[in-house]
Amino acid sequence: MIMVTITDIRIRTSMIEGNALPLLVWLSPSFPVGAFAYSHALEWAVEAGDVSDFESCKAWIADLLEYGSGRTDSILLAQAWQAAMKKDESALQELAELALALQPSAERYLETVTQGNAFITASTASWPSENLAFLRQQVTGDIAYPVAVGVAAAGFKIPLQNTLESFLLAFVTNLVSSVIRLGPLGQTKGQKVIAHLLHLVCRVAQEAIHFNLGDIGNSAFRSDIASLRHETQYTRLFRS
Amino acid sequence: MTAAVSIFSERPRADAILPGMIRAKGSVQCRFAANPRRTEASELYEAGGYRMKFPKGALCEGVIINTGGGMAGGDSLSVEISLDADAKAVVSTQSAEKIYRAQSEPSSASIHLTLAEQSHLAWLPQETLLFSGAKLHRQFRADMAADATLTVFEGVIFGRGAMGERITEGSFRDSWRIRRNQKLVFADEIALEGDMAARLDRPAIGAGARAIATFLHLAPDAEARLDEARAALETSSCECGASAWNGMLVVRFAAVDPETLRQSAIRFLNQFRAVAVPRVWQC
Repeated sequence: MIMVTITDIRIRTSMIEGNALPLLVWLSPSFPVGAFAYSHALEWAVEAGDVSDFESCKAWIADLLEYGSGRTDSILLAQAWQAAMKKDESALQELAELALALQPSAERYLETVTQGNAFITASTASWPSENLAFLRQQVTGDIAYPVAVGVAAAGFKIPLQNTLESFLLAFVTNLVSSVIRLGPLGQTKGQKVIAHLLHLVCRVAQEAIHFNLGDIGNSAFRSDIASLRHETQYTRLFRS
Repeated sequence: MTAAVSIFSERPRADAILPGMIRAKGSVQCRFAANPRRTEASELYEAGGYRMKFPKGALCEGVIINTGGGMAGGDSLSVEISLDADAKAVVSTQSAEKIYRAQSEPSSASIHLTLAEQSHLAWLPQETLLFSGAKLHRQFRADMAADATLTVFEGVIFGRGAMGERITEGSFRDSWRIRRNQKLVFADEIALEGDMAARLDRPAIGAGARAIATFLHLAPDAEARLDEARAALETSSCECGASAWNGMLVVRFAAVDPETLRQSAIRFLNQFRAVAVPRVWQC
């Protein structure tokens, strides 16, 4: 019975292997991970006046991409993709543990594991792969979001660069969408922020392919502090 | 005599590289043990210009002294502190650790704390001060028993702002790993390279901050003390915030003026710990 299931999965994944199309589904706002509920502390940055218009929104998110969680998550995703491809259990365990320990606050921990766990549940049900099953065997408990996406993409042999670019672009569009909902940006300015940051998305993705865990380096101190401050923000639309 | 004069009259080249043999390799290893009356240092090893003193007081306190006055490029420091079961100690440093401009090799520091069952360690060094051009690669490791208590405060100052120095080059890498009961519970990887002042001026980085600090408290009751921590931050005049999860409490500070951060940190530490910071902090 189990053998049949594995054969089924093999046939289905091999039919679309290497095609990047599943990423459009997995990283779209309709995929059931609840990305819309998290602002990554932008709600506090808006409240504090740090993000108030096109320029300040673009600068803040650019910092996250170049020097903060965008860069860190790219490296974690790339390492997870590679470990899943090689079925390297110790590497996968190490980076899954590190991805959780690196979270700077209770809310950022919640943001990454709620989405990571939901992504694993949804993709195991609808987009199963041997690599995803391998991850579940090797790592019990919470899974950080970039680790989940990296392993799922490896399961369908989706090229790493496509995966990283799509992941980072979804990160940016989700943050811009939260700023739009919070008020400082209209739809048009929001789209302009995304368009202006696309080259940075591609560059950070390209670099992450060649990095390893030792290259992780964060300096987005005020973003981290913003996530601490968000916990006691008086009115809140977002969970982070 | 003539020879001596000629040596001193020659100006040192700005790019001169010191030979490796004269680089300082500092080390402090200290073990604390609890006896029925109090905790005392039971083993001590000092090398390379580092000393550790134990001021008399109600609590067992160790103060690390760098007789060299700071770290140059290529200097290394290794600190190992271990607490036996039930030991309670506070470890601090006599002054801010100055990291001078590095000629080529970075200065490297490694801190390793080991906490046995029911032990309490407060690791409260004074700030690390990076001069422009400084390169510091630091590793912070802690291994603690599930019921041990670890309190940490580490601050970093970027450039001698009081002297008008803008830190436009250098490298700062700070790698943290804390394991409790062998499980990794806290990790941080801080990296700032090149024109640090320009980077720190960016909005999500520092918005002009020149000092940052991290406070950690890992204890069985750490999460339950979040409201206390927030109350102790209420009068703070620098940017800061607190959070608690997975059996730990984290506070982060950032400030344009290092002295503002220091004063906020002292107020916070005194109130949260219900005991005054080590006397060396107030000199």
